[in-house]
Amino acid sequence: MKLFGRDKDTSGEILSGGESAIANKEVEGLSQGQIVRRRFFRHRGAVIALFVLTTLIVFVISALDTKIGAVRIPGWWKWTVEDIPELRYEDCPGGTTGCPTLSLNPSGAFGLGKHPFGQDDIGRDYFALVMNGARRSLMIMFVIGAVSGFIGVVVGSIAGFYGKRVDAVLMRLVDFIQTVPGIIIAAVIGKAAGRVGPLFLALFLGLLGWTGLARLVRAQFLSLREMEFVDAARVAGASNVRITFKHILPNAIGQIIVIITLIMAGAILTETALSYLGFGVVAPDVSLGLLISQYESAFTTRPFLFWWPGFFIITIALCVNFIGDGLRDAFDPRQRRRITKKDRLRAKVDVKAGP
Amino acid sequence: MLSYIMRRIGVSIVILFGSSFLVFNLAAYASDPLAELRLSSDDGARQQIIALTRDLNLDVPPPLRYFLWLKGVLGLFVGNLNLGMTREASSVQEELAYAIPVTLRLVLVATFTALILGMAFGIISALRQYSRFDYGMTFLAFLLYSLPIFWIAVLLKEFMAIQFNNFLGDPDIPTLWMVLASTFTGVFWGALFGGERKRFWSIFAGAFATNFLLLWAIDLTDWYLNPGLGPILVGLLSGGLAIGVTSISTGVENKPARNAALSMAALAFLSYYPAQWVFNNFGSYLTIFLLIVLIVLTGITLSRIFSRIDRGPIARTAIITGILSGFLILTDRVMQSWSGYMATDAVNGRPVPTYGQRKDQLVTDDFWLNNLDIISHLVLPTLALILISLAGWIRYTRGSLLEVLNQDYIRTARAKGLNERTVVTRHAFRNMMLPLSSLFVGEVLGLISGAVITERVFGWQGMGTLGIKAINSYDLNLLMGVNLLLSILVVMGNLIADLLYSVLDPRIRLGK
Amino acid sequence: MQTNKSASGSLLKISDFNIDFWVDGVWYPAVIDMNMELAPGKVTAIVGESGAGKSTVALGLMSLLAANARMSGSVMVKDQEMLNAKPLLLRKFRGKEVAYIFQEPMTALNPLFTIGYQIVETLRNHFDMGPKEAHARALELITMVDIPDPQISIEKYPHQLSGGQRQRAMIAQALACDPGLLVADEPTTALDVTVQAEILDLMRGLKDKLNSAILLITHDMGVVADMADEIIVMKDGLTVESGTADQIFNRPRHPYTRELLAAVPKLGASKKRVLAYKESSKPAPVLKLENVTIEYPKRGRVPAFVAVKNFSLEIFPGEIVGLVGESGSGKTTVGRASIGLIPIKEGSLEIVGKDISQASQKELFGIRRHTGIVFQDPASSLNPRLPIGESIGEPIFLAKLAKGPELARMVEELLDQVELPRSYRNRYPHELSGGQRQRVGIARALALTPDLLIADEPTSALDVSVQARFLDLLQELQGKLNFACLFISHDLAVVDILAHRIAVMQDGLLVESGERDQILKSPKNDYTRRLISAVPVPDPAEQRIRREARLALKK
Repeated sequence: MKLFGRDKDTSGEILSGGESAIANKEVEGLSQGQIVRRRFFRHRGAVIALFVLTTLIVFVISALDTKIGAVRIPGWWKWTVEDIPELRYEDCPGGTTGCPTLSLNPSGAFGLGKHPFGQDDIGRDYFALVMNGARRSLMIMFVIGAVSGFIGVVVGSIAGFYGKRVDAVLMRLVDFIQTVPGIIIAAVIGKAAGRVGPLFLALFLGLLGWTGLARLVRAQFLSLREMEFVDAARVAGASNVRITFKHILPNAIGQIIVIITLIMAGAILTETALSYLGFGVVAPDVSLGLLISQYESAFTTRPFLFWWPGFFIITIALCVNFIGDGLRDAFDPRQRRRITKKDRLRAKVDVKAGP
Repeated sequence: MLSYIMRRIGVSIVILFGSSFLVFNLAAYASDPLAELRLSSDDGARQQIIALTRDLNLDVPPPLRYFLWLKGVLGLFVGNLNLGMTREASSVQEELAYAIPVTLRLVLVATFTALILGMAFGIISALRQYSRFDYGMTFLAFLLYSLPIFWIAVLLKEFMAIQFNNFLGDPDIPTLWMVLASTFTGVFWGALFGGERKRFWSIFAGAFATNFLLLWAIDLTDWYLNPGLGPILVGLLSGGLAIGVTSISTGVENKPARNAALSMAALAFLSYYPAQWVFNNFGSYLTIFLLIVLIVLTGITLSRIFSRIDRGPIARTAIITGILSGFLILTDRVMQSWSGYMATDAVNGRPVPTYGQRKDQLVTDDFWLNNLDIISHLVLPTLALILISLAGWIRYTRGSLLEVLNQDYIRTARAKGLNERTVVTRHAFRNMMLPLSSLFVGEVLGLISGAVITERVFGWQGMGTLGIKAINSYDLNLLMGVNLLLSILVVMGNLIADLLYSVLDPRIRLGK
Repeated sequence: MQTNKSASGSLLKISDFNIDFWVDGVWYPAVIDMNMELAPGKVTAIVGESGAGKSTVALGLMSLLAANARMSGSVMVKDQEMLNAKPLLLRKFRGKEVAYIFQEPMTALNPLFTIGYQIVETLRNHFDMGPKEAHARALELITMVDIPDPQISIEKYPHQLSGGQRQRAMIAQALACDPGLLVADEPTTALDVTVQAEILDLMRGLKDKLNSAILLITHDMGVVADMADEIIVMKDGLTVESGTADQIFNRPRHPYTRELLAAVPKLGASKKRVLAYKESSKPAPVLKLENVTIEYPKRGRVPAFVAVKNFSLEIFPGEIVGLVGESGSGKTTVGRASIGLIPIKEGSLEIVGKDISQASQKELFGIRRHTGIVFQDPASSLNPRLPIGESIGEPIFLAKLAKGPELARMVEELLDQVELPRSYRNRYPHELSGGQRQRVGIARALALTPDLLIADEPTSALDVSVQARFLDLLQELQGKLNFACLFISHDLAVVDILAHRIAVMQDGLLVESGERDQILKSPKNDYTRRLISAVPVPDPAEQRIRREARLALKK
C-alpha cells in the first residue's frame, strides 16, 4: 500500500502536508455518494431522527382516511375528526371530562383504550384531531420547503450565474425581504390565505422563506463559477444550461438540501405559531398550533389537550433539525471527526512503511 | 468611515420605504376593512361605511393611498408626524407611544441576555469540543430550536407563575425537589469543567452539596418570602467576581489587575451600608447612573494607583468588577422590597404575574416597589424569549469559534508562546465576532416575531398585541404604524451590526 | 546578546522522533524515527515532497500539532525536553527560544491587529517590558527587516502590506526575542522569485548577525542550495538521507535523493533547441495577439483594472512558447483570453486564422474545436461529481463527434495517450493524485486534437518528481501531435526545459520576447535579467556564485 503518495494539494486545508494526505485515508476508494452516506450514518442523532421521522410520518398518515379523488383509503384508527362519540366521565380526576385512556402501566390497564389522547370539549376523539393536525402541519412543512427551495435555487442560480446587474438587483431584493418584519407579512398573508385553505397558506408562506437559500446558492455559484472545471466545460463548448445543471448545481446540492431541511424545521414552527395567533389554519380545519391555541386555557384542568399537539410539533421539528445537522456533516468535508480520549486508546496502529 | 455610515443610513431609509410600501399594498389588497359592514343590511352600517371610507381614504386605490400615508410620516421632519387614525378614531401615534416602551423593554433585555449567555455557552462548548458539556449544549440548542415559543410561554406561565404562586402560599421545598435540583446543578458544573471521571465526580459532589445546603438554608429561613443578600454575602460574592473577572480579562497572574479588582470588591463591601442610605433616600435612575459614573472613576483611579503602565486593561478589570458588585448591591436592595411588594393589595401574596406588563392597581411612589413590579412582570416573557433565541447564539458562536481556532494565525499566536487565555480572548474572540455580527439582524427579527407571540400569551399591551389587533380588525393605519416601528427596529439592528463589523474589521474600515 | 550554546553544544537535538495521526480509528505514522542535531549559527534544511512529513516535524517540535497527533521520542532544545513538557515550559520556549516563520503570511498573521501590535505582543509576552519600550524595539525590528517607512508601517494591518512585506513582518515578529532557533516552514513558497531572493538574503544576513540556527523546511532544492549547511531528505515520514549540503548535492547515496535531484529542473541545463520552422519562411501563426488590452470591468466599488496592456505575441504551429512573469503580471489573463474565456478590450486576437476579437459565444464554439487548455489547480480542474471518463469525453460529446461505445473507445485511447489505466474512466477525481489529475487535464485538452494548447501553470501545484514526469509526457505528446503550445509559468527553469521561445511579462506589459537561449543567456531587459538572477539553482557552489553576482548587480 502506498501510504503518502498523494501529490501536493492546494485545497486550502489548514493542515500540514502529511496530515492532509493522511486525512484522505478516510475516503479512499469511495464514490462521492458513499462518502456522504457514510458520514451521515456516523451521526447517531441524525440516524435516530431519520428513523423516528419516517416512522412518525407513516404512522400519522396511515392513521386516518385518505381521500385521493374519489378513492378513499381507510385509516387504521377507529374515529375520524367528524365523529362525535359520547364524552367519557368515568375515572377522570376532579370532575373533568374526556380524559385520556392511554395507559402505560404494565400491571394495570395497559393499552390504548377508547380515546388514548382523550376527547375535546364536545367529545371528538383527540387522537384523531392530533393526527389530522400533524398531517396538516407535515403537509405545510413540505410544501413550504418545496416552494422556498425552488424559488431560492432559481433566484440564487440566476443571480450567481449572470452576476453583475442581475445579481445586484436580486440581492438587493433579498436584503430587502430579509429586513422586512416577516411576522407581520406572514400574519397578513396568513389571515387572507388561511381562510382559503391550508395548501394556499403553505404556498404563500413558501414565498417568504427562500431568501437565505438564495443567498447560499448565489454564493455557491460565485465560488463554483471560478472553479477551473467550469472554465474547462466552457472551453469544451458547454452551454450555460449545461454548465448550470451538469457542473454547478450538482456540486451545490449538498448545501442546498441542508438549508432546505432548516427551512422546513422553521416552517413547521412558523405555521404552528401563526395558527396559534389565529392567522394560519382556521377552524373547522385542524392544525397542531390551532389545537394548542384552542385548549390553552384548559391547561390547568385538562393538560393532555395541550401536551399532545406540542409533543408532535417538537418531535417533528427536532427530527428535521437533527437530520439537517447530519446532512451538513455529511456534505461538508471540513466537518471532520475529531479525536476523543476514547478514540486514542482504541485506535489501531497502521503498519509502518518500509524504507 | 463616515461615508460608509452615510451609505448604510441611506440604504436603511430605502429599505424602510420599500418595506412600508410592500406591507401597505399587501395588507390593503389582502383585506377589506368594510367586509363585515357590507354584509349588514342595517342603515347604521351604511353610514359607517361612508364615514370610514371618508376618514381612511378608502376610495383612493392602495398604491396612491400609500403616499397619503407617507405624507403623514414625512411630516416628522416638519414636526408634524401623522400616522393616521385607527378604526376606533384614536390616534395611531398615541397607541404606539404607549406600546413602544413595553415591547422595547422586552426585546432589549431578552436580546442582550440571550446574546451574552449564548455566547458564553457557545465559547465553552467550542473550547471543550466533544465533551459532555458540548454534547449537552448541542442537544439543548437543537431542542430549543424545535420548541414553539407559544408552547414554552404557556408552560412558563403555568409552572413558573401559577404554581410558584401557589407554592409561595405554603412555602416548603420537598426534599425530592432539592435532590433533583442539586443533581442537575452538579451535572451542569461537572460537565462544564469536564476532565477525568474522578474530577467530574468531585466537582459534581461539591456543586451538589453547595446547592443542597443553599436550598436547605433557603427553605429553613423562608428566604423567598424575605429575600436579600446581606453585606457578608455581597462581600464574598464580590471577591469571587473580582477573581473571576480578572482571570478572564487579564489573567490572575497580572498582579496590578488582580489587586485593583480585589480593592474594588473590598470597596463594594465597605460601601454596602452607605449605599443603603443613598438608595433609601435618593432612589432614582439618576442615582444609579451617578453611581456607575463613580464606579468608572474609581476603576480608573485604582488602575493609576496599582500600575504605571498598561492601565487600560487594569481599569477595565476593576470597572467590570465594580459594576458587577454594584449590581449585587442593587439586587439586594430590590430584594428588600419583596415582602412589602407581596403584602400590597394589588399583589396579595401572588407575586409572579401571568398577565400584563404592570399591575394597574399598584399605585405607589416607591422607586423600588415600582421597579420590582416591572421586573416581576418582565421575568417570564423575557425568559421565554431568551430560551428560543439562546439556541441560535450557542450554535453560531460555537461554529464560528471552531472555525477561527483552525486558522493559521491561531497557530502563530500559540507559536509565539501566548497562553491559551490570550489566544482565545484576544486572537480568537475578535475574529469570531465578525461572522456573528452579520447574524445579529436575523436574530433580532426572530426575537421580534417571538415578542409578538409572547405578548399575546402574557397579555402585554405592546406592539405585538397592537399588530394582532390591527390585522384582525383590518386596521391598516394601525398595522402600518406597528410595521414602521418594527422595521425601524430591524434596520437599526442592521446598522449597528454593520458598524460593529466595520469597527472590528480593519479591512472594511480602511478599505481593501 | 545571549549565548545559544548549551552544555552539549547543540541547540536542538531530536532523537527517535515519531509522529502519528489518528484517522478514523487508526494511527497513521507521519514521521518515523527521526534523528537530527542542530548547532547555533547553522542552517539545516529538511527537504522532501508533499506528504513527506517535513512540516509535521516542524510543528511537532514545539507541540503545535492538532489534537489528533501523538508524538514519541525526544526533542531537546537547549538541553530541555520539549516533548510532553509542561505547558508553562513550552510557552516559555515558544517564541523566545524557538520562533516560527510560516508559509503564508496573509493567513499566519492575525488580520485584525496591526503588525506592530503583533510584534509588541510577542515581546511583552516574554520580557518584562513597558509598552513604550516594546514599541521602540518593534520599530527597530521592522527597520531591521527593511520594511519601508517603519514609522508608518508599524501601524499597518497585514492586508495593507504586500506579500513580501508581510513575510518580513512575520520575520520581524519571529526575531523579536532573539530566538536561538528559527523554524522556517516553507517561508518563501508563497512568494515570487525576486521577492524570495530578497527574503532569503534577509534571513541569511540576520542569522549571521544574531548567530541563530535555522531549521528550514522546503520542497525547493534551489532554496536549499542557497541556504543550507546540512540537509535531511525525507520521504513518507522516513529520513532517507542526511549530510552536508555538499554531500547531498554532489554525492547523493540514496536512490531517492538522486531521483529527486534529477527531477529538479535546472536553469540553463537544457540542450540546444531548434525552432520548428525557419525564420525566413514562417507559416501562418496559430495564435496571434496584436496590441491586445484586457480589462477587468468595474465590479461594485472595485474599480476597473487593466490586467494586460498593448500585448503582442505570435505562436506558430509546432512550437512551444513559454510565457513567464511573476504573480499579477497578467500572464494567466493572456492565456485565458487566448482561448476566448475573457473578452479583450482593444487590439486583435486571431486563432487558427479566425479573428475572435469581438466574437460571440456561438462564434467561439467553432474555435473551441481547435483549442484546449490545461489548468493550474489539480484540485479544482475536474468536476468532483463527474467520473474521469465523462470529463475527458465532454468536449467530444459536445462537438457531436461521437457518443456511446464510440465515445468510450475514444476516451480509452486518450487515457492510453496520457499513460493512465483505462479503468480510471469510472473513477472520481478525489480518488486520483494531483499528478494523475493533471494527466486527465491533458487528456481532456487533447480530446479534439487541437492546434493550440494553452497550459496555465500546469505543474505549479505538483511535486518535482511528478512535475518531471508530467513535462516529459507533455513534450512527448507535443512531438507526436505537433500542436502549438502556450506554456504559462512562473518558473523559468521549467520553461527552459520546454520552450522554443520565451516571452516575459511584468505588470501587464510584455517586457521582452525571443528565442529561449537569447532570453535566458543574454537578456536585454533589466527586469528579465533580475528575474533570471533571482532563480536559485540546485547546486550550492553555483548558487553561491550566482548570489554574489546578483548582489553585485543590485549595487
